[in-house]
Amino acid sequence: MKPHPYLRAYLAGVFVPTLVLPLLLTVFIVVRIVLQVSVPIEQAMIFPMAVVPSLFGLWNMLYLGSHARTRLPIGVHGAVLPLLMAPAGALVATCLHVLEFGSHGVTWFQALYFPYALIAPCFLAALVGYYLVWKYIVGFLNRVLGIA
Amino acid sequence: MNAHNEDRLKRLLQEALPRIEGEPEPGRDLWPAVLRRLDAQPAAPPWFDWALLAGLVGFVAFFPASIPVFLYYL
Repeated sequence: MKPHPYLRAYLAGVFVPTLVLPLLLTVFIVVRIVLQVSVPIEQAMIFPMAVVPSLFGLWNMLYLGSHARTRLPIGVHGAVLPLLMAPAGALVATCLHVLEFGSHGVTWFQALYFPYALIAPCFLAALVGYYLVWKYIVGFLNRVLGIA
Repeated sequence: MNAHNEDRLKRLLQEALPRIEGEPEPGRDLWPAVLRRLDAQPAAPPWFDWALLAGLVGFVAFFPASIPVFLYYL
């Protein structure tokens, strides 16, 4: 068995958010500078930069530690993560004024309005996205790093 | 350890370990099967996952404003 399996699990977990982060930064910069839309980019970057990668790494470590007992497929394990991240991200975003709750919907980044009726489909789409990302990307990395 | 003790130890070990019955080697060469397995393509994703991906792409195409929110959580 290769040494430090939990370290490798953490690294495999942080891979996807680390790749997405520059993409997110690019989107925000284009929206703010090119399209001249007022977006609180500094506040909006805190959760994806400080929390999401660590959560992905720790969640993959948890998968490695619990898989022998739970036998849960990695896609399902990853799809559970939004249940924690959605409220945590919303809480951070609310505290930083990135997310504002209105009478009929929420406003993200002081620019994007979502009626409350759209939140449930968005959450389901996030579950699907996480399921696919964990099954095919994190699962592949786990196999490459010899911890699957 | 002198030669007598060495012979005695060898005899005791041979008596303690069960004798391998039949051929000690497999009847056929297993290495080609190992190579075939290493070269085999991974299984294609099931139709269910393709359907989920199509649904996700359709959702994002229908509500492009959700893209920054999804990126916020990735």
